[in-house]
Amino acid sequence: MATIKAGNLKKGIFILFKNEPFEVTKAEFYAPGKGSAICRAKLKSLRTASTQEFTFKSNEDVEELDVMAKEMTYSYMDGDDVVFMDPRTYDLVNVSRDLIGDQVGYLIPELSMYLVFLDEKVIGVRFPQKVTLKITDAEDAVAGDTINAPKKQATVETGMTVHVPLFIKKGESIIVDTTSGEYVGRAN
Amino acid sequence: MSIKVWQKLHQNSSIIQPFYIREKVIDAIRLHLKSQKFLEVETPKLLPQPSTEPFLEVFQTQLKFAEGDAHHAFLPSSPEFALKKLLVAGVGSCFEICKSFRNGEGRSSRHNPEFTILEFYRTPADYTNIMRDVEELFASIHRSVFPNNTNPTFPLPYQNKLYKLNAPWERISVAEAFQKYAGIDEDTMLDHAKLLAAGKQKGYVVTDQTTWEEMYNQIMFNEIEPHLETQTPTFLYDYPASQAALSQKKQSDPRFAERFEVFLAGFELGNAFTELTDWKEQEQRCLADLEERKKLGKTPFGLDQDFIDALKLGMPPTGGIAMGVDRIVALFADVPAIQDTLFFPIDDLFPPSV
Repeated sequence: MATIKAGNLKKGIFILFKNEPFEVTKAEFYAPGKGSAICRAKLKSLRTASTQEFTFKSNEDVEELDVMAKEMTYSYMDGDDVVFMDPRTYDLVNVSRDLIGDQVGYLIPELSMYLVFLDEKVIGVRFPQKVTLKITDAEDAVAGDTINAPKKQATVETGMTVHVPLFIKKGESIIVDTTSGEYVGRAN
Repeated sequence: MSIKVWQKLHQNSSIIQPFYIREKVIDAIRLHLKSQKFLEVETPKLLPQPSTEPFLEVFQTQLKFAEGDAHHAFLPSSPEFALKKLLVAGVGSCFEICKSFRNGEGRSSRHNPEFTILEFYRTPADYTNIMRDVEELFASIHRSVFPNNTNPTFPLPYQNKLYKLNAPWERISVAEAFQKYAGIDEDTMLDHAKLLAAGKQKGYVVTDQTTWEEMYNQIMFNEIEPHLETQTPTFLYDYPASQAALSQKKQSDPRFAERFEVFLAGFELGNAFTELTDWKEQEQRCLADLEERKKLGKTPFGLDQDFIDALKLGMPPTGGIAMGVDRIVALFADVPAIQDTLFFPIDDLFPPSV
């Protein structure tokens, strides 16, 4: 474990808070102008998966957990588990689908991503910022509906729906931001 | 690279809506204050000395003349000192809507280093008059943004919650709030050792270096402010005297100062004072602030002697407030972040490096 200042908390790191492991899901350093600096954080409990907000003094000490991030590729779904493979050793690792949440919609075969381990146990997953997904179904653009919402829904290969511009057609590949779920562009 | 706001607008013209609301909100503020006989003024955005808030970092630049002389120059963190000079000069109740600048803050949904501030000063008045002014101002903005809504509770839908803006808004003192929400009584709150002990018992990290202000601040953020997100806006008033900033101490109880902040939907919207008019006390506080700035390692600058000299001539009894216009716009436009109300938010201009 390493001690860091709360002012250096960052999204994606893991800390020990009140003797329990938490993932920092949001951290905003904040100098309110009329008071000393603080860090507003959202913390997700690794034990209960519940989130809470907490404001740290920016100069207070926080214990950062030593985690290891390992590059793995997505293999297949196994009931409530998602199975990843280590491309070097071919070892398989099962991860609970709950840990991944809505981002399961970005899991395309062979997708390479980082799994975060604490003492041999997977405690988090990190998707690449962008993934390329193939459109499997998209309605044709309806003229006249273009003024307020020049976007339409399209279904991608994983079954997820994405809002895309009207010109996108079935069979094309698009790039989607895995954090916001937004359409970023056409994949050439 | 994420998509910039102007690029998003190019792709999808419907996201211009918050910007129309922005225009309406600013128009409504101007119209309301002018109808109340406030004079609109403009003050400099390039200053030899900015105001002395110890915790604010400033933007520094250099002013050069063709004649060869060069000067340190600063962007203001608020127009407060200049407006107070005008109050001394006798312009009467006045306001300014302008850009202000704060450096060294984190990237957050509630801050932009360059932001739009509204400051208005009523004279003769104190902070209780300003509370009523703010209530009326929001009623005016509401009528302008929702002209067809005649509901007398002034309902404001924001992020799937419904707030009511009709007066009177909730008023709770800092001491009452500490008692009610944190279970800390007035004596404990005001005492360094007692407050640290109470904080430690609650599980906060307390060391030899922890100051009263840090503990007070942390309890405020963790235990008080989350409760100020009720259905109506809240005035949190009467701050401990050490947090007086530029406000007058209460004559009836000098342990507290006549200052309030106003909260709605998790946003701190404004900070108001019965303005300190005593030049001696003001000079002491400014010098103490500059000393504190030195300790905190902030950019050094001198005292605005002009401001103290103005107060020596006598400033009329005044109540005043500074409000974050971008935050007010975000509320009325029902968008989560102030950056959603800016055509060129800071992340588009200066993207994060990692």
